[in-house]
Amino acid sequence: MNFDLTEEQQLVSDSIERFVQDSYNLESRMALVGKGPGFSEAHWKSMSELGWFGLPFSEDDGGFGGNQLDTMILMEHFGKGLVLEPFLASIVLGGGVLKRAANETQRKQWLETVIDGSKQLALAYSEAESGYEPHNVAVAGTKTADGFTITGTKCMVQHGGTADALVVSFRTSGGTTDKSGISLALIPADREGVTVQGFLTVDGLQSAEIAFDKVAVSADDLLGDVGDGFTVLNATINDGILAIAAEAVGAMEVLYKDTVAYTQEREQFDHALADFQVLQHRMVEMFMEHEQCKSLLYRATMEVANGGDDAQRNIHALKHLIGKAAFFVGENAVQTHGGMGVTEELRVGHYFKRLLVIEAQFGNTDYHLDQFAA
Amino acid sequence: MDIDLSADDLAFETEVRGFLSENAYTNGANPEEWRMKWFEKAKEKGGWDVPKWPAEFGGPGWTPNQHYIWQKETARAGTPWDMPFGLSMLAPVLMAHGSQEQQERFLPAIRAREVNWCQGYSEPGAGSDLASLKTKAELTEDGKHYVVNGTKIWTTMAHIADWIFCLTRTSDAGIKQEGITFLLFPMKQEGVEVKPIITLGGAHTVNTVFFTDVKVPVENRVGEEGKGWAYAKGLLEHERTGIAGISNSIVALEGLKKRASSVKRGNGSLMDTPSFRSKIAELEIDLMAVEYTELRSLATASAGTAPGPESSILKLKGTEIQQRIQKLTMEAGGEFSAAWGGINSGPDFARAGMGGYMSSRVYTIYGGASEVQKDIITKKVLGIKSTKK
Repeated sequence: MNFDLTEEQQLVSDSIERFVQDSYNLESRMALVGKGPGFSEAHWKSMSELGWFGLPFSEDDGGFGGNQLDTMILMEHFGKGLVLEPFLASIVLGGGVLKRAANETQRKQWLETVIDGSKQLALAYSEAESGYEPHNVAVAGTKTADGFTITGTKCMVQHGGTADALVVSFRTSGGTTDKSGISLALIPADREGVTVQGFLTVDGLQSAEIAFDKVAVSADDLLGDVGDGFTVLNATINDGILAIAAEAVGAMEVLYKDTVAYTQEREQFDHALADFQVLQHRMVEMFMEHEQCKSLLYRATMEVANGGDDAQRNIHALKHLIGKAAFFVGENAVQTHGGMGVTEELRVGHYFKRLLVIEAQFGNTDYHLDQFAA
Repeated sequence: MDIDLSADDLAFETEVRGFLSENAYTNGANPEEWRMKWFEKAKEKGGWDVPKWPAEFGGPGWTPNQHYIWQKETARAGTPWDMPFGLSMLAPVLMAHGSQEQQERFLPAIRAREVNWCQGYSEPGAGSDLASLKTKAELTEDGKHYVVNGTKIWTTMAHIADWIFCLTRTSDAGIKQEGITFLLFPMKQEGVEVKPIITLGGAHTVNTVFFTDVKVPVENRVGEEGKGWAYAKGLLEHERTGIAGISNSIVALEGLKKRASSVKRGNGSLMDTPSFRSKIAELEIDLMAVEYTELRSLATASAGTAPGPESSILKLKGTEIQQRIQKLTMEAGGEFSAAWGGINSGPDFARAGMGGYMSSRVYTIYGGASEVQKDIITKKVLGIKSTKK
């Protein structure tokens, strides 16, 4: 048994750590939030040059043949820096569906440009009433001679406003909550009938609402077999859960360590705050929550990467624990920082806001508890 | 033991309901006109515009039960917006410690909602440990003015306030609670600079306020020099009823249940999911208990005896419950609560749900952080003294 990184993974990890340290502080991040694309094109280019986008793709697809473990290493560092670039949206989610379902022609046309960063993807699966269930799909595809026309609205599409193409789930048969009858397609964002409205989320990232009005989808646009999209969609969302869980673990580490540092500096009642036992024990608990999350992250990531039978249960357990710990660590980091903790000036609040969005993405803490218990 | 309201209380309840429905806001009305008219009508009722003021200062002189009824009914009906700083915080200090000249000068404008006040208490180095404040007030040689220098922080509404009541240090001798002086002065003058603090909900309500050689006439000092801490402390204890916001929380919980029932989950609603449903139930149970904790506290107050140990937990429990309601509202909004304005197909209430939740984190920090409240209970209620030798 061994939890060490391979030599290669360690090198990548070190390079990501350096990048985040050099390129991401609160000030430079805030200069990007809500302006233009909402992230740095220059950072995106650097990331591509450093080869990170190829990590989770096979060598045949032009990648480095890594898996969820490699993504985990990267996302944990991204979490420490609150990275804004759309790695999750384009590589893990959009690219995740493509690598599982695309045919040879689609791979040639899209994967190379996704891996070199010149094109970006987004995954449009969630809807106003889907209630966290990826199989709850109302956006409808109507059969045409050459394929389908699709109509309906997708919500909370992360980085949908800047994506070149959208991976879209839509219903081609069955009832709204059936797992069968869901199809997937890759649709360029500028296709006729597609209306994209981007907006900012509280964590400083970008999301979008995307309306489809009789959008033509040809057989060439379809990803995988008609009506058979759920398995691919679910596996990709599970990758997304692993990725944001790793990001959350990184963010929680910053939060508990910042709290430990702050309480040693700040004095009240003629003592450093860290002298008060009630705060000492609270910080010990924050640290414990972070370590527990890290353990379950490793467990779930390896289970999924190894194709274990217990993968789905591990995913539910992980997303639940991450959400619960995010609230505990975030709330106590803010509380212990006092008034300063609730301002835009200190970074703790920004990390907590990112954790809140992670908590609600791909099913929240309660949803995954209910799924685990079911 | 008897929990029924008396016949007089029931009659009062009917009267309050009548007043609130007669003067409710009607759609399309000018909000500011309605607000001023509302206070005018409330004044005509016999001091209902200043419910907490004693009868000798024009208040209604209600019994604790009547205060409870008022709080419960207004939580449901809604009242015009109001700022607590002059009305509920400064006014009691002036009534207890101000000169007659000061009372006549300041109270009418507070009551008429003409002059907005802010509170200059916390400082960058004096938060939970408020008594360590350092903003200096030095008496001029002729004894006519104090000259104020220093910095206040978390000053709510300082950017719209006309006046500030401010704790200043006039002496470093003795323990730190001594040498604190309570001063009143205008905000719109040279030497007063207000810098906004943007909080995580995205709102601007609090500020940092800098004082540079601000001249304050001695007649603007409340009570004696060096006794300001006692006046301010009395003020913190003044609010016995209503501080926990329990009536508001009861109304908010009803609203939350309705909202959660409108959120679809599978073939049912969010209220049908076991985990969310049990959290709502746990919240409701805590609220049922704290409602009676408040009633027990009121009963001792109306019997004229000292408040029992139960009173000390009202702020802690009340603010914790307010935070849980915000949190569950955010959770009910699901991923849509993440939207920061803009287009969003989710439920209406989800807009800025995370902003609301982040804003609520301050409830357990301001007005004495929960940790400090617990220290006070440790000493005063549990009677635990340090045995450090």
